[in-house]
Amino acid sequence: MSLPRFDYRAPKTVEEAIELRQEFGDDALVMAGGLATMILLRERLVSPRVIVSLSEVPALRRIEANGGLRIGAMVTHSEVAGSTLVAKTAPMLRGACKRVGSPAIRNMGTLGGSICHGDAASDTAPALLALGAEAVIAGPAGDRRLPLNEFFVGMLTTALRGNELLTALYVPQPAAGTETRFIKYTATSAEAFSTVTVAVWIALDDTRTCVDARIGLGSIAPTPLRAAAAENVLRGQKLSREVIAEAAAAAMTCTDPSSGGQGSAGYRREMTGVWVRRLLDDMASR
Amino acid sequence: MTQRLSLTVNGEHHELDVPENRTLFQLIRENLHLTGTKDACRQGVCGSCTVLVDGIAIRSCLALAVRCHGKHITTVEGLKTDGKVNRLQQEFMDAGAVQCGYCTPGMLMMATALLRENAAPTDEEVREALIGNLCRCTGYGRVVRAVVAAGASRGTEPAKPLAAEQ
Repeated sequence: MSLPRFDYRAPKTVEEAIELRQEFGDDALVMAGGLATMILLRERLVSPRVIVSLSEVPALRRIEANGGLRIGAMVTHSEVAGSTLVAKTAPMLRGACKRVGSPAIRNMGTLGGSICHGDAASDTAPALLALGAEAVIAGPAGDRRLPLNEFFVGMLTTALRGNELLTALYVPQPAAGTETRFIKYTATSAEAFSTVTVAVWIALDDTRTCVDARIGLGSIAPTPLRAAAAENVLRGQKLSREVIAEAAAAAMTCTDPSSGGQGSAGYRREMTGVWVRRLLDDMASR
Repeated sequence: MTQRLSLTVNGEHHELDVPENRTLFQLIRENLHLTGTKDACRQGVCGSCTVLVDGIAIRSCLALAVRCHGKHITTVEGLKTDGKVNRLQQEFMDAGAVQCGYCTPGMLMMATALLRENAAPTDEEVREALIGNLCRCTGYGRVVRAVVAAGASRGTEPAKPLAAEQ
């Protein structure tokens, strides 16, 4: 089936893109890499009058290091995976990007597009949540930053307002003593959507006591989310068998899965506990 | 609404007026009548519509044609050199890697992109690169053998740019 009719605009700057957003309001749809958008268009799930393509905005294609990492919204998953800056500052994000779909999908799909789509099965969202990333958002009144865990507000719904644009993801500089683990667990083939994705970030002091923890989960609720209850179990504790088991059980209580091709709701909840435990076990054994 | 596009496909320059809602896949087949590129899923999953845009493998079913203004596109028709099939295509034939053939153009384009980055890939690396190219005849073993052979035959010599892109 061919695509519905629309006008196509390709602004050259963020400011022009925001002006188009204001001009056309809900009649405009912003296209990043275009993967999700093209499928939504083809299925007639969206019918915008205007497509605002970000493909001609060079400012959105840069990765910069300034007290952390600022990854432009239009940087592709392949580019994130191939970046030495990302490999140094956020190796878990590199790992997550290497697990997105297949190579041609990674060449097209962008980090910002994937985050704005707000799909619970995003491979990168759990890693970014665990890394404490922030959404850098531009609007008519200027920039604002929002912690990523406040960005996902419902199924395929984000906190982005109608006249705003996600311009970058900001990943803070890792402090000494922090460790990360990531798993995209698929029940069918490796390029499929995950049954559950788990990303763990912990900060350990000299006595190997966990002083802080962030756990990002994907595919187990209407949105990607932080397993706050599991994080609370870990803070101030050594990673003993008992503490890890308690954290894994707490992570399961954070889930609200649905059943689908990649697993039943019960299986997804169970696997959330299994993978939180395994990743923490692996960290504890170092 | 249409837009005037200027792009190079398999080394040949084209100027054409294209509706804004046309996909690159439609442009290749319906405007340029290059029917080697196939589609099946139209969701980016199956890999049969894979082409190269400025040397990078993408899904033509999920790409808007208007986004390809000024770009170099290579389709399976662009692989032939001096009017003959190239080394990779020959290895596909020698290995018996073509059954019904529907997935073959996509496989060839993805393998071409791989061989440019990695002149002599291992079995594992070929499987990883072709993870998003589905063969419903399930002839994967021979496909992998063909790509590995195409790499090995060239040793570690870096891949030459395709004739179509020079």
